[in-house]
Amino acid sequence: MKLHEYLAKEVFKEAGISIPKGIIIEDINELDLALEQVKIPCVIKSQVLSGGRGKAGLVVFVDTVEKAKTEVNRLFNHELNIKKLLIEEAVNIEKEIYVSITVEPKLAKGLMLISLEGGIDIETLAVTNPEKIIKELIDLRYGLMPFQASRIAYSLGLNQDLTKKLIRLLLSLYSVFKKYDAELVEINPLFITKNQEIVAGDGKLMIDDNSMYRQNRFEKTEAEYKSEAEYEAALEGIPFIQFDGDIGLMCAGAGLTTTVYDLINYEGGTVANYLEFGGPNYKKAVKAMEICLKVPSKVILIVTFGTIARADVMAEGIVDAIQRLKPDRPIVTCIRGTNEALAVITLKAAGLEPIFDTEEAVRKAVSLAKGGTK
Amino acid sequence: MSIFIDRSTRVCIQGITGKEGSFWAKHMIELGTDVVCGVTPGKALQSVENVPVYNSVKEACKNHQIDASMLFVPPKLTMDAVMEALDAGIKKIVTIADGIPLHETILIRQAALEHKAMVVGGNTSGVISPELAMMGSFPYWIKRVYKKGNIGVMTRSGSLTNEVTAMIVEAGYGVSTLIGVGGDPVPGTRFAEFLPLYQEDDETDAVVIIGELGGTMEEEVAMEIVKGKFTKPLVAFLGGKTAPKGQKMGHAGAIITGGKGSVEDKIKALEAANALVAERPRMVGKLLEKLNVLKK
Repeated sequence: MKLHEYLAKEVFKEAGISIPKGIIIEDINELDLALEQVKIPCVIKSQVLSGGRGKAGLVVFVDTVEKAKTEVNRLFNHELNIKKLLIEEAVNIEKEIYVSITVEPKLAKGLMLISLEGGIDIETLAVTNPEKIIKELIDLRYGLMPFQASRIAYSLGLNQDLTKKLIRLLLSLYSVFKKYDAELVEINPLFITKNQEIVAGDGKLMIDDNSMYRQNRFEKTEAEYKSEAEYEAALEGIPFIQFDGDIGLMCAGAGLTTTVYDLINYEGGTVANYLEFGGPNYKKAVKAMEICLKVPSKVILIVTFGTIARADVMAEGIVDAIQRLKPDRPIVTCIRGTNEALAVITLKAAGLEPIFDTEEAVRKAVSLAKGGTK
Repeated sequence: MSIFIDRSTRVCIQGITGKEGSFWAKHMIELGTDVVCGVTPGKALQSVENVPVYNSVKEACKNHQIDASMLFVPPKLTMDAVMEALDAGIKKIVTIADGIPLHETILIRQAALEHKAMVVGGNTSGVISPELAMMGSFPYWIKRVYKKGNIGVMTRSGSLTNEVTAMIVEAGYGVSTLIGVGGDPVPGTRFAEFLPLYQEDDETDAVVIIGELGGTMEEEVAMEIVKGKFTKPLVAFLGGKTAPKGQKMGHAGAIITGGKGSVEDKIKALEAANALVAERPRMVGKLLEKLNVLKK
């Protein structure tokens, strides 16, 4: 689960990391009150989860009240359906740093990255100037040791006062990584201000989905999703992504669904949505189809090849879903795996024409989406 | 022959009295797996499928020779169960649990490396040598997928593995040993770490890897080939070639991060190592033929 900037900063602040003064507003009428506390000039930051907010005009600097009003109006009426804006004090920046902690799967360690080239795209820097990124492996049994934080901080060549502040910040950041079962914590940029303070200019905190059972502080709310379908899928724990093509995918197995997505593209078709109801969700065919039907598409393609996610159970679920929801578009099925013979009987009895070969099913769906009849 | 598991491997099942554990214990035995004992704390007086059950792995070890442990344990309890097996000196461990917390997967792999043990999984169906033995939850009775042969298979997926393996069998081949390393971002054992076993196995003539976007496991395989440590023919199928960048699609491990992990990068690395990459599942069998891999 990816947290919005303002929530990540709230967590950082609790851990002792300085953040700029900021107020969240959900309506233009709240702006005046916010500006009483956060003085002009300030920065208006859209609370959306996508990256590259600056370039997309979703983060803007304003130096008059009029400009603030214009921008707040524009952002609240933006097509991205922005629900929250962070009104944040402008900081006098002397320098920008990059710092993050993630995991290193091969060595089985945590990995801290830090660079004096803050504010830039770290993935680009990793390619162009890898020597400008300092890496420190962290043994998760002991956590980030003070000597490590100290070694990293001193190697940056900052003055004594800033170095000490940075050491504290690095240890605090690790405490957040650990406490919140993070797959990523990142501050980019981390500001060094003209007053020699270290302040988090941005905040990224991604909590591992497998740890959500013990990380119940943050709840999923509809505001965070682009559509009702995405929100419903998230509540059910069904992986779902909406696109704008013709074929709705309702497949089981992450790898298989991704492969069917590729095959549709190879065959010249387009995907309306990715939906994967395998694993623990294999009995949720009705819910899965309900979500698929909320997305505009010309055909729904169901491909499975399950083991524990039994073919017969999925076939029954699909027939049940069709009877209950009466879909307004054709359904192509390719259901294989445990008890697949039973699945075929069930699907045929319901008037479907089950296909047994993935590529054939994909071709049929692409043809139907293009207005063909088979 | 096969790798990791065959009829002579003596297997303990942790969590044998649970619903999943007892169901798959029965099937493991039916296929021919030598399940010697089970462990569930507090259930020592029971037996499942005539297999004796103990309160701890240590206690089981006092009464049996154990070569490998199979875990049917929920994700929250998996790290503890893995540590128990490692503590008892077991060097081959398979865990199918889907949903192990990320930080615990790190600790599991770290412990496995320190014990010089192999932990397979989580988030996998396990390991199977068709028509011989398995540790995990495979529908081995689907003969158009689980047929014995000379192709080693390694995979990050479940359903996709059935799809691709069916195509290998359709082409007239069979499988020596299939290993599901799992779909988590931090699998206990990585693709490249199994290559020496396949290299040494006389009855594996070629290896197929079923990968996907994200991570660097496929690149590590390419590196082993380049270094000359793996010399048998290798074919790869990789899902997610057309996946939109930055989008989490597929397994948790399947995301392009740090500028690494795109399918294009993986194809480049593998082809530079003279491995062949199939664009579609059906092509895998055809590429094995192209590499003159015998059907036996």
